Amino acid sequence: MKRANRTRAIAAVVGIALMAFLIGAAGPRGAGAQSPVTLNVYISGDTNIFDLWNKMLLPAFSKRYPQYRANFVPLLHGEGSQGVLDKILAAKQAGRPTDVDLWETQPSFVAQGAPNGLWVKLTNSLIPNLAHVPTQKLEATDYYGMPYRGSSVVVAYNTAFVKNPPKTLDDLLAWIKANPGKFTYCDPNTGGSGQAFMVAVIYKFAQMAQYTGSGYEQKMEAAWDPAWQMLKSLEPQMYNNGFHPNGNVAVLQLLAQQNVYIAPVWSDMGTDYLKRGLLPKSVRLEQISPPLFGGDSTVTAPVGSGHLEGTFTLLNWLLTPEAQQLVISGVSGYPGVDWKYMPDSVKMQFADVAKPYAPLPNSKYFADMLRLWHEKVAGGG
Amino acid sequence: MTRTPWFWAVGVLRRAVGIGALLALAAFILGPLATLLVWAFAGTWLFPNLLPEFSLKWWLYVLGNADVGKSIRMSFLSAPTATLLSAAICIPAAYAFARLEFPGRRVLLLSFLSANAFPKIGLYVSIATLFYRLDLMDTFAGVVLIQLVNTLLFMIWIPTGTFRGINVNLEEAARDAGAGPLRTFFQITLPIAMPGLIVAAMFAFIAAFDEAQGSLIVGTPNHITMPVMMYALVLGYPQPVGAVFSVLLSLPSVVLLLLAQRYLRAGYLAAGYSL
Amino acid sequence: MRVHKISKQGALGLALVLPPLLVLGLLVILPAITAVVETLKPPVGIEATPFANYAQVLGTRILRSDIVFTVVVTLVSVAAVFLLSYPLALYLRFVRTRSTALLGVLFMVPLFVPVVIASFAMITFLVGHGLVSTLLYRVGIEQFPRLMYNATGIVLTEVWVSIPFAVLILGAGLQAIDDALIDSARDVGAGPLRTFFAVILPLNATPTMITLTLLFIAVFGSFTIPYLVGGNAPQMLGVTMTAYLTQYLRRAESVTMAVIAFILASVVGVVYVASVSRRERTAR
Repeated sequence: MKRANRTRAIAAVVGIALMAFLIGAAGPRGAGAQSPVTLNVYISGDTNIFDLWNKMLLPAFSKRYPQYRANFVPLLHGEGSQGVLDKILAAKQAGRPTDVDLWETQPSFVAQGAPNGLWVKLTNSLIPNLAHVPTQKLEATDYYGMPYRGSSVVVAYNTAFVKNPPKTLDDLLAWIKANPGKFTYCDPNTGGSGQAFMVAVIYKFAQMAQYTGSGYEQKMEAAWDPAWQMLKSLEPQMYNNGFHPNGNVAVLQLLAQQNVYIAPVWSDMGTDYLKRGLLPKSVRLEQISPPLFGGDSTVTAPVGSGHLEGTFTLLNWLLTPEAQQLVISGVSGYPGVDWKYMPDSVKMQFADVAKPYAPLPNSKYFADMLRLWHEKVAGGG
Repeated sequence: MTRTPWFWAVGVLRRAVGIGALLALAAFILGPLATLLVWAFAGTWLFPNLLPEFSLKWWLYVLGNADVGKSIRMSFLSAPTATLLSAAICIPAAYAFARLEFPGRRVLLLSFLSANAFPKIGLYVSIATLFYRLDLMDTFAGVVLIQLVNTLLFMIWIPTGTFRGINVNLEEAARDAGAGPLRTFFQITLPIAMPGLIVAAMFAFIAAFDEAQGSLIVGTPNHITMPVMMYALVLGYPQPVGAVFSVLLSLPSVVLLLLAQRYLRAGYLAAGYSL
Repeated sequence: MRVHKISKQGALGLALVLPPLLVLGLLVILPAITAVVETLKPPVGIEATPFANYAQVLGTRILRSDIVFTVVVTLVSVAAVFLLSYPLALYLRFVRTRSTALLGVLFMVPLFVPVVIASFAMITFLVGHGLVSTLLYRVGIEQFPRLMYNATGIVLTEVWVSIPFAVLILGAGLQAIDDALIDSARDVGAGPLRTFFAVILPLNATPTMITLTLLFIAVFGSFTIPYLVGGNAPQMLGVTMTAYLTQYLRRAESVTMAVIAFILASVVGVVYVASVSRRERTAR
């Protein structure tokens, strides 16, 4: 009797499983394209950016354009991007539309996709407000990415322990040597704040202009050798004898836990953490000279998107004063458009922050910088 | 009688070492989880405070996040489905591996190792292209299939071992008594194998549940699982957020643990599992 | 008659085995072969030999050290899990005190904790200025060794997540050993150690091999734990591969490393099958 019951139970369970599978397989395929049109917006970044999009930008956009609704997809910082690129590429190869309507990601992924013709080339006729964006910002992404916000990496220091904060890069390097174990930067693979420090040291020894344009010659990288030597020599003075944590947030946490006294951080993340009490009140942010890099976060439109009209509407709206104000108030970011298009009150408010920052190297050199850092600095040559 | 004091001393020593070892193990296993639990209720926790400033604000933050709920639901729908499907196709195969002679048996058994031996990173573009052609992208079925691949190893090997450990005479006796092969399987073999099969199912479930890299490609944007969500929370959000989510996730696991206790007690395992 | 029976059995066997094999074939073997073929096409600008990619990867110093690092960390982790789990399994099998029940629940706990959570928990516990370090600091011990974000962190976390699996498999094997055998060994005068090496270990050989093999493969190919808990260099292969693909835009090297990792992991699998086959042959 017992065995028969058990047999029936097993059969029932297996049957249910198969049914669930079949129902799931036949079920609806995600957000359908009825009215209003739903745009899938993929954003890679940290919590403050997710909140900016999810709580501020997208609701405001839907209010302004009720025929569009947005489905917000937050992405693993750095990790999920390869999967998304693979998806878009696979869709193109299979001749199908992709469900990615807009993508904010690191420049390297845009660069990977460009040779395959994955992205829409943005022009003033597609997006009228593009005329407000400084041209060199658009050239930097080959017109595949539209900058909508900016931020720069600054130096955060804990005034409780640092009485004379360094004001220049050389001061900072000297401070690191004099105070072993109290500074670090995140692994450049994992966060822009670490990349900025690495790039600043490279710019000290090599001509910045050679790496920020669109050319790429591998032999130019020999000029980086003194930078690798300098960074390598600093390794013993890093926190925990040369440890570089995983990500921007991890460094902020080290700063908060007083494991380090000085660290490079993104201006918007640092401000956000201070506001929320996640950093002790004694921490201050400052830009050094020559400045650490800053960049614009760009959004890209895949050619295979099924809702390009909606995407272009969203892109255009992102560059309006209304949206740019949200960027500034939401994440203490810099606008993507030229400052002259912002109201005076905003310009005054951000007089300190709106300092120039160093440009990013182009993505091919950047990829090699990341690899060589691992080989020569972390890996010991 | 001089033996007694010596024996007694050794006994006490052994017990002390035993208890010490038990406490050390408990600290090692439970310590990290306890720390995470405290972080979940921390407003801020700065060194060198032994305890944080307590606050529930991060709970409100996490629970207010709609994506979190969606991912929990998706994981608890897809992982059990993948496990049960895996059981359905793998258990008969395991029986074949254990009892039947057929050409290439050993090679085929070994080939299931490959599912876990090849780093998945190299596979995902090809899998994605295939899924696009089969219209499986961003579907529940697609996520289940990806998770299914992770379960194959456990669902083949452990049941194979389980079935092998059952005395053939029991089955032969039933056949001699006139029972057909299916009846023998369901009424003799399966009940004895059950504890081993349940262990296999548990490992398979956990493998399906933990799957992150493939589910990301196949499941976005509408079928996000918890591991995919967790990565983002742990790396990109303040520490208490990851801790809160971890506690939320552990609750179902604790329930599973209590339910599974019956089958995992050492005695039960012996019943059907020996190689 | 006998020939007819075997071929009928053979057909049935193959039929039953077909469904999971199909899944395996389509979702793992086929993409894996595609990847291997891809790596045999030589990269542009280098001499056209099919193994150019492999020569390049194995010729890069840091990649060689990553491979060696992965193997070493894996071996240490597997050894550590084994050394911790076997006594546990023995204790659970042979000792019956009140603490046995507690222990039985305790060792299962990591099984139900997803790997990301486990890594995160270990960090909060063992990092500098984490819980343990703070506790020691408060009692006056200011120096704390670096236990996280290096090989030690990886090993500790891999051990933590692997204990339940190892204890279960080893324990199940131990259950199968008849008490009578142990008693008879004791009667002959063998001490506990001797009994272990002469009786228990050989009888429990197959579960031991399974445990070692599966543990090796799991740790070798792991990504989450070394990614969250490991150091900057050298890195485990799973992390390196991902970096080469997503950060350094070097797909060819990444897939080449994947194939190398697969070959190394297969070697272990082959060793296992060979030893089990030998045992089965001698047993018959």
